[in-house]
Amino acid sequence: MPSESRPPLFSIRVAPPRIVRQLLGAGAVAFVVILWWLATIGSSPEARFISPVILPSPREVIGSFSSLLNERALVQSIAATLKRVLIGFGLAIFFGVPLGILAGSWRIVEASAAPLALFGRNLPVAALIPLTILWFGIDETQKVMFIFVACVPFVYSAAVSAIAGVPDRYVETAQTLGASPLQIVSKVLVALALPDIYDSLRHLFGMAFGYIMLAELINAKYGLGYLLMTSQRRGLSEHIILILLIIGLLAFGIDRALFWLQRGLFPYRAVEE
Amino acid sequence: MANGQPKPIFYVAVFLVILGLVGVAIWRFGAAGPGGGGGQFSSDELKQLAGNAGKAEKPDSSGITTVKEYNFVATAKLPEVKGISSYTPMIDRTVRFAINVWAGWGPIIYANNGFKPGRVWKTPGGKDFKLELVLIDDPVAMRDAFAAGNLHVGWATLDMVPLFLEGLRKDSRVMPRIYQQVDWSNGGDGIVVREAIKTMADLRGKTVVLAQNSPSHFFVLNALINGGVQPAEVDFKFTQDAFQAAAAFNADKRLAGAVSWAPDIYNLEKIKGNRLMVTTATANKLIADVWFARADFAKDNPDIMEGIVRGIFDAMQDLKAQDAKQKVAKLMATGYSVPESDALGMLGDAHSTNYAENRDFFLNQNNPTNFERTWNTAYFLYKKINAVTQQTPFDQVMDFSVIQKLGSEPKYASQKNEYDVQFAPTTAGAVGEKDEILTKTVVIHFFPNSWDLNKKITRTADGKDVEELYDPNVGFVVEEIGKLAGQYGAARIVIEGHTDSSMRGNAPKSVVQELSLNRANSVKEAMVRKFPSLQPNQFSTAGIGWDRPADPADPENHAKNRRVEIKVYPAESPTAAK
Repeated sequence: MPSESRPPLFSIRVAPPRIVRQLLGAGAVAFVVILWWLATIGSSPEARFISPVILPSPREVIGSFSSLLNERALVQSIAATLKRVLIGFGLAIFFGVPLGILAGSWRIVEASAAPLALFGRNLPVAALIPLTILWFGIDETQKVMFIFVACVPFVYSAAVSAIAGVPDRYVETAQTLGASPLQIVSKVLVALALPDIYDSLRHLFGMAFGYIMLAELINAKYGLGYLLMTSQRRGLSEHIILILLIIGLLAFGIDRALFWLQRGLFPYRAVEE
Repeated sequence: MANGQPKPIFYVAVFLVILGLVGVAIWRFGAAGPGGGGGQFSSDELKQLAGNAGKAEKPDSSGITTVKEYNFVATAKLPEVKGISSYTPMIDRTVRFAINVWAGWGPIIYANNGFKPGRVWKTPGGKDFKLELVLIDDPVAMRDAFAAGNLHVGWATLDMVPLFLEGLRKDSRVMPRIYQQVDWSNGGDGIVVREAIKTMADLRGKTVVLAQNSPSHFFVLNALINGGVQPAEVDFKFTQDAFQAAAAFNADKRLAGAVSWAPDIYNLEKIKGNRLMVTTATANKLIADVWFARADFAKDNPDIMEGIVRGIFDAMQDLKAQDAKQKVAKLMATGYSVPESDALGMLGDAHSTNYAENRDFFLNQNNPTNFERTWNTAYFLYKKINAVTQQTPFDQVMDFSVIQKLGSEPKYASQKNEYDVQFAPTTAGAVGEKDEILTKTVVIHFFPNSWDLNKKITRTADGKDVEELYDPNVGFVVEEIGKLAGQYGAARIVIEGHTDSSMRGNAPKSVVQELSLNRANSVKEAMVRKFPSLQPNQFSTAGIGWDRPADPADPENHAKNRRVEIKVYPAESPTAAK
């Protein structure tokens, strides 16, 4: 719990020291777990404040981990989900980023693509499921293409705005130095926009990870979304909570890894956590 | 009795037949000795029975044996409800009752005059209550709302309840209490395949698309396993619901089959290259729709439970009138947001089960498709694919107390079972001109040269002579095929007897064929005896002899060849009627 008598902690917009920060985070997690534990203790299922049908206890959740791992092929599911997201999102980067650079550099391209990009970004993704089934069947292609179709407008737009965000003075400087348009794009615009593009992609990856859950509801043999759905169908609320925790941990781990990579790749651009 | 008025001599004849049978039964029971079960025939009797099978009709003895009801008290078996009721209290005494888009809810929609709480229902004690019909098509969402207490009553097909129980059985307050069957799916579910697929066995190694853990799943697993195909031999592709399965089948030609619902199955059938292999119009006693209440709610409001059961039964009777059908179609059209003509058409997808049919379903132990057997079939199938863990006995969820109670009122007791298909006699040859839906192969070890199913032999165990059945599995096999025949209540069933070819060259073929026919007939007789509600005319028998070995690649496998095959044919195909 935060102690109350230390004014610097409550100064506006001042980040607390690292250790305090971590303690506060851990404390909040502990608080939630204690609440959860209190709500689910009782000598019989009927004596609990919340019925086990609605919320299993922390002990029951942890106890069900081995069955999730061994009987329900958790590892294969994590691998399958990551593979789908990586391929689908990779494709979105492969097409979206170059297109975005092109459009950001030559605004005439951006102008013609703008309505489509707007349309793509505003489509409710779940509504794409029936279409991707019709177009790509119900196998792996459909899942990968769903991620691709859902992500590419965002990836594209992120690249466009990163390029467009490069201050004009750099372009003008290059022009005065006699750079050709291609040189300006490659040496100035892309070089300066890349950290921003990477940063956006890091955030968008989290989104793609969320979308895959939707695609895995259809004909998946493995996958976290599939596991989640079958757990729900079978009323395995312990597994549902476990899978949610695992998804959260995975997303956190991936984000940290990408962040670490970002600092290494672009040491000249400081990024905030 | 074509003119419906039996003559006095008929009663005398029936009385004599009954008296004779009772006499025989007592005599046989006494003669069977210690440990001998009933139902044993001498080979002479069996010959007589077998001889009758070919004739138009055998003497009807079913009057005294059709119904054998449970004699326990329903509430004595039901698990005790512990703790404090945890459902959301009724507002203005309004029960929240979940339904899905399905024809079978017609009666309750009619009784309630629509979905919204409005019409006042009465408990038997005269107290008022109301009903709000909540449309939740997604079974998982429905189950979760039910578990959370937002719904007092849920919908299901009986085969789905074991899946629900995986979660619900953790808390005695949310255990389902099933009071009433509202319908049998009758054409509402079906399996569509490509033209090259002739029988269920052809699906081996092929891909089938369907909604997982749904009545579709139950339907196809049951058909496959009865057809000798293990679930692992078929590549299942799962979609979120039956509509998506139909769409996927339409889009992807590599899919060999789809299990879906009306109207999609009939739309798919119209497309060239597809055919409708089987629907619940043929497998007409397989998918039972029921409603169930939370145990805590039912415990607190037994009078409301009875009020709902009565209201639904009464509406079923009202709905026999065409203007009532029109009216309910209008109400369903509003509630389901479908055109009125579609709603009217939907009504044909299900058969509403009246009081007599419910009593048969809940209470009759001799019914091959009763609650208990349907329940056990669901567990058997779902265990095969590891969808369920431990089995909850049927009497932990089935509450027949209201059905039993209503039996004392002539209004209900006088109702008749209206769902039995009447079969005209036919021959195996006539039925067999079409492709069968599935062939169930069962192995019965007959004593050499005998067709007595209950042949007993004497073995020496621990120095004592023990009399036991030559094939102790007979009871199980008869149960299995009787259940199949009951589930496919509108299908023609051919029982084929096969023999091994060990005596080829030593015995004339005709003798062997006669033996195999007698064996087929004795299986039929045993089945009709065990399940008197099955009509003998549904079955045709054939003696194949050694002509068709079980495995053409291994024709000398005698043990495999001594078998009986049960073939299920679609009902009344034009060729079968010849």
